[in-house]
Amino acid sequence: MVFGPDPERPDNWERQLKKGWLELAILASLWDEELYGLDILRRLEKDTDLVLAEGTVYPILSRLKADGLVSTKWVEGEAGHPRKYYSLTPAGRRRTVAMARYASGFLGSIRKLIAPVLAKEDK
Amino acid sequence: MMQSEKLQRKIDSYLAELRKCLGELPPEEVHDILQEIRGHILERAEASGELTEERLVAILKALGRPEEIAPLYQVDSIVAKARASFSPRVVLRAIHRWSHISSWGFALFVIGVIGYALAFSLALSGLGKIVAPQEVGAWLSPGGFNIGTTSNPAARDVLGWWLVPVGLVGGAITAVATTQLLRWTLRFARFRRPTGGTAAC
Repeated sequence: MVFGPDPERPDNWERQLKKGWLELAILASLWDEELYGLDILRRLEKDTDLVLAEGTVYPILSRLKADGLVSTKWVEGEAGHPRKYYSLTPAGRRRTVAMARYASGFLGSIRKLIAPVLAKEDK
Repeated sequence: MMQSEKLQRKIDSYLAELRKCLGELPPEEVHDILQEIRGHILERAEASGELTEERLVAILKALGRPEEIAPLYQVDSIVAKARASFSPRVVLRAIHRWSHISSWGFALFVIGVIGYALAFSLALSGLGKIVAPQEVGAWLSPGGFNIGTTSNPAARDVLGWWLVPVGLVGGAITAVATTQLLRWTLRFARFRRPTGGTAAC
């Protein structure tokens, strides 16, 4: 931050890439079950390194809710404080399928494109 | 005891800061957000066994600074809500918020108000024709044309009863078109504050 923008610093392009994937990762994590925010975060941390600042996940969840893709409910649990659980709405499930299909096709073509780059690197 | 009080105060001051930064959001939304973030901090703290100040600082750091998180909510909720809504009130409110920070927003707010006012007066004329068919009409006179009532005895009612469907359908179309136009323009709205996200809230 102090040194100003430097295109070579990985966090610039990495940040942009991750931002786009995060939304799909969040929706996909809700595919099988409803989860509360920290659950989602833990899952993302376990399987990916998409999360930069943990606090950014909550605004994304709030937007997904405003878009009607997830619904929420507060649950008074054994935790001693209420937890806000998120689950996919029918529209959310449709969106998740569409995004997953797109992402899968996209990854396939990107993999083909970057293959020469990685092959050169290996030599 | 002293130590845990100090830690509690640290959590409270983080949340107070966040509340301040969330200022413009509806109170119930702010309450929800703070509840959720508080839960996050407490649960992370419990998971770490004995909570030390160092550990708490790390938890808050991983969350991010309040002044960085809060603007994400503001961008998200207002625009998303308006873009998912057909309510003129919700859409116009988002445009109104936009008009504070951009002259584009202001111009669109004016267009929106005119559009809804036109829709309202068309519908009102349609209804008025039913209630007071003699007074309300689409009047053409040497002086010009107006829809509503006229004091000009030379004016001629060009639409007659047609004013009822024309007013009601025209009003509805104008209202829907205005809403769609505003919703469409909202995708270009950038709600980042001119001072940038790092300014003290």
